[in-house]
Amino acid sequence: MYFMDNNQKNKNLRLINEISQLSAITDFVENLVEEWELSPGLAMSLNLVLEEAFTNVVFYAYNDEKQHVIDLNFSKNGDQLKIVLTDDGSEYDPTQKPDPDFDVPIEKRNVGGLGIFLIKKIMDTVEYQRKDNKNYLVMTKTLKL
Amino acid sequence: MNLNEIKNDKVVIIEIEGRLDTTNYNQLEKKLLENIESNNKNLLIDCAKMDYVSSSGLRIFLMALKKITSLNGKFVLCGLQENIAEIFEISGFTSIFQIFENQEMALKVF
Repeated sequence: MYFMDNNQKNKNLRLINEISQLSAITDFVENLVEEWELSPGLAMSLNLVLEEAFTNVVFYAYNDEKQHVIDLNFSKNGDQLKIVLTDDGSEYDPTQKPDPDFDVPIEKRNVGGLGIFLIKKIMDTVEYQRKDNKNYLVMTKTLKL
Repeated sequence: MNLNEIKNDKVVIIEIEGRLDTTNYNQLEKKLLENIESNNKNLLIDCAKMDYVSSSGLRIFLMALKKITSLNGKFVLCGLQENIAEIFEISGFTSIFQIFENQEMALKVF
């Protein structure tokens, strides 16, 4: 017997390109986990994924000092969770960043690329798209129901 | 995040409490560098009360490990919560750091 959850859910969070917005992400994830009845253990993973993706954009996507909007869209269809991060920064595909090399001695070990690596490990799929001068980072995960 | 420092003649223990993230990693960085500059080369970081870490925090741990190792000191961690231990594992940190269950066990290496 299958338990069918056809209930589609959708939520948006609009942020600006400032690191102080991380607390808004944390609050949002806390509410999302409760409202969508996600497993509490997922909260930390989602916070981590979102912090890595968001800070990457804030630190590296903009060449000006202006305020920019960064949009996060969350959707859930059955056991499929999808998060899309959209920004109007310069074109950059973080998924192309090489994974950190673990087989080197400590003194040569570099943490560059660890953020996107953590995203790739926690989520099931991570894809980048460039459309209408915007970056789209699309991340999905199958939830354990 | 709160940082609590305990010094004895052998080792400096730094207890991290709360979230270690992009907004506050520089506080930990500052504390670690202050100790290294004061020639405190034996550091134990107690993570029992740290409930979140992102790559900004992991980067600081690695920075400290590299610096202290090059000075022939010891940089040891203890008390990782389960989900934090998982992040360490994914990041390939489990094999390069000395990690103990609690302070008592960790203190034996100094």
